[in-house]
Amino acid sequence: MDRSCYCLWDLQSTDRSSTLSEMLSCVAQTGEHSRELLLRALEARELAGATIVAPGTAMPHCRSILVDDFVVVLGRSREGVSWPEERVRLIILFISPVKPSGPQEHMELIKHLAGKIGESGQEKLFKASSSKQLADMLGFQLIES
Amino acid sequence: MHPDLEKLISLHDLDVMIKDLGRADILQEEVRLGLSPDAAVGELKTIREQLSSSIGKRWLALYGQICVRYGNAVVPVVMQRCTGCLTRLPTAVYSADDRNEQVRTCPTCGRIIYWAD
Ligand SMILES: [Zn+2]
Repeated sequence: MDRSCYCLWDLQSTDRSSTLSEMLSCVAQTGEHSRELLLRALEARELAGATIVAPGTAMPHCRSILVDDFVVVLGRSREGVSWPEERVRLIILFISPVKPSGPQEHMELIKHLAGKIGESGQEKLFKASSSKQLADMLGFQLIES
Repeated sequence: MHPDLEKLISLHDLDVMIKDLGRADILQEEVRLGLSPDAAVGELKTIREQLSSSIGKRWLALYGQICVRYGNAVVPVVMQRCTGCLTRLPTAVYSADDRNEQVRTCPTCGRIIYWAD
């Protein structure tokens, strides 16, 4: 599995929907229309239960036919984003493709992230000093934009 | 893009999410992350109901039939081929200017097809 990610170091949005949209906008391989539909899928998952995985950290995710490879976007907010029950400062967004090995690889990615978050600890992740350091801590190769 | 086509793509992604959360391994990892996948499935099913009720009956029925037959009813067209059955589409289908402006099906397998932007 290719483990590369985009990172938005200083998110401008302050609510969940705009933040997801801002994060999706940096995904170069999908068009505007696909991004809109991906946003709907991620929002549906959030409406079904907010993906707060630790205090201050959200992990919006889904699998979709609109991507043909894994999409991972990290986002960090100084002000915090209303999620909306809790304010989050770190967002780990990922979308897995739909293919025969998709469910297994999706599970492995969740497992990988759970392991890395546990290993690094929340505070360390919040204190990362650059996109690259944050990506390293989570076991991803940063896609320079 | 035709509104029903958009909704059929969203319906497909919702069905994938619901199915994934029914897998023991994914469920276990979501719980390990501190999420509540069981509750999420119930909510996703409600969202699915709401979405389904807004899709044209003809397309919803077709979606259901193809899901039963193949397990997936909506697929993208890549390199002029239906990615469901890998058959090359007729020129009249893949070169149409308004290709996403109506709901189209693969002439070979019958799956609902769309072109990614
Ligand atoms: Zn086909």
